[in-house]
Amino acid sequence: MTAFNDATGLADWVSRTRAGLTEGRFPARAFNDVDVHALEQERLFAKAWCFLAHESEIPSPGDYVTRKIGNNNLIVARDEHGVIHANLNMCRHRGNVMCKSEMGNASHFRCSYHGWTYKNSGELVGVPYMKEGYEGRLKRKDWGLVAVRVDTYEGLVFGCLDPEGPSLAEYLGGFQFYLDLYLKHGLGGVEVHGPPDHWVADTDWKICAENFAGDGYHTPVAHQWGFHLGYFPSSGTTHSQGWAASIPGKGHGIGLGHGPGYPAFSGFPDQVVAGMKEAMSPEQVAVFSQIRTAVGTVFPNLSFLMQPFSLVPGDPGVRFVTMRLYHPAGPGRMEMYSWCLVPKDAPEDYKAEAYRAYTLAFGQAGTFEQDDFENWTKVTASAGSGLVRDLDFPYIMGMESEPVPEFPGPGHVVRPYVNDTNFRNMWSRWGDYLAGEA
Amino acid sequence: MGAVDCDTVAAVTEFLYREALALDERRFRDWLALLTDDIRYEVPVRVTRESLADWELSPTSRIFDDDRDTLEVRIQRLETDFSWAEQPPSRTRHFVTNVLADPGEGPDEFRVSSNCFIYRSRGDDPTPSFYSVARKDVVRRTADGWRLARRWAVFDQSLINAHNLSIFV
Repeated sequence: MTAFNDATGLADWVSRTRAGLTEGRFPARAFNDVDVHALEQERLFAKAWCFLAHESEIPSPGDYVTRKIGNNNLIVARDEHGVIHANLNMCRHRGNVMCKSEMGNASHFRCSYHGWTYKNSGELVGVPYMKEGYEGRLKRKDWGLVAVRVDTYEGLVFGCLDPEGPSLAEYLGGFQFYLDLYLKHGLGGVEVHGPPDHWVADTDWKICAENFAGDGYHTPVAHQWGFHLGYFPSSGTTHSQGWAASIPGKGHGIGLGHGPGYPAFSGFPDQVVAGMKEAMSPEQVAVFSQIRTAVGTVFPNLSFLMQPFSLVPGDPGVRFVTMRLYHPAGPGRMEMYSWCLVPKDAPEDYKAEAYRAYTLAFGQAGTFEQDDFENWTKVTASAGSGLVRDLDFPYIMGMESEPVPEFPGPGHVVRPYVNDTNFRNMWSRWGDYLAGEA
Repeated sequence: MGAVDCDTVAAVTEFLYREALALDERRFRDWLALLTDDIRYEVPVRVTRESLADWELSPTSRIFDDDRDTLEVRIQRLETDFSWAEQPPSRTRHFVTNVLADPGEGPDEFRVSSNCFIYRSRGDDPTPSFYSVARKDVVRRTADGWRLARRWAVFDQSLINAHNLSIFV
């Protein structure tokens, strides 16, 4: 793949890309390019609020998981007082990786190289030969682990590498209204069912993020087998009904698939429905009760999906929620984390059933997931080829869509669900970051 | 030597080879016929953990968690024209080794552990995928022949190097 000649060439390309978006065009090159990937690391992942973990993954003092933002490896730990910290997973002394496990429980982290020891909050507490070697010159408080800003929303722990910039609430910018659809399944909220499925793929993270920002268009074709076996009561035409909601200037988007004639909140046990009605606002209940499938992306790379699915075609189905993180692991390559979220207060048998529905549909061996990745790896391969990298893709669907009047949710809401509006908003925000304007 | 006689071990081993062959020859209906009605097919998620952790294989997370009905769904899916993940189909070769059989719950059941090394090639990609898998099966002798009653298989990696798992292990 030819690199851009220089920084000016890349800046020109970003500028042309942003201009193209206003006409509904976006370049293939964005999905597999070494310079674009580097620029994303520098300007997007270094600035945006990125998802780290769900609080239920680290419920007790000392619990930790290791996660990444961009190419930075982080320890996300709950300290002895219950406070969550994200610190660079690197000893300040010579840069060794502190913690080589994906998860665990520890009050302290001790470097295996020279033995510097930190509390799980990141504070440096132990330095071998402190008196003899450093003769009072080393101040422990100056050499703690490198801390990253952390904030949470409804159990979601986000981190931000930029010490300045907006708060998480401002960053989400009203998308919380829609996130609650996945998170407020009762006053107790939701919890992860267990550690995530974790795999690598030759796929650009942006293709997945875009798809989950509301690509109802692919469903009847990419997942045709589901219609064929009778999983969905509707054809491709009825499946495309519903709304596309996005938060202008923020990049977040959600597709709200409406199944005509579908009973409100079907596939949830009564107890969960009652809990949702208690935890959500009347406006949220009014919108969400009509939704069969909801698929959304928090910019840049965290997505959610909720839908009913049955283990046997024709059965009414059980609702499951999946949350997924698309970690950019290189140009055209990503590391996928996929969780199943279950309502904390729900009956155990529903949790187990929802998890099995998730596994069959959207785990790594999931029958829907399999086909998505088959398509996404091929898109990525195309985007890296010589001729294709100078081509644009059309993002003109719904260019003339007028906002739906009196829709009770925030943001820019259009009909139908099959629409490129969310994607244009997403790539527009991505362009802001790459141009250094966010 | 183990508590199971050599003839039985040989028969169980041959059964595993034939089962693997059915998968490799993509005779999925034949493969399904080798499973009992109460089959449980389970692949737990592996997590990299510190040496003294209680578990490395998640007690709750599963890559596959199937019974007869859901395996039937997976195979019906493969029989449609729309199982894009397997078009073109994966070429697999299951290498089954280190077969050890121990007595199971009844006189006709055996707990069988084996190693399974899977070669997987897709399309014209010259780079194959390799998966090393440990299996603990329950194999049952029935009036109709040997049948697989339980498969518990785990990958020897925590970060799986596959863009999907549209094959059986």
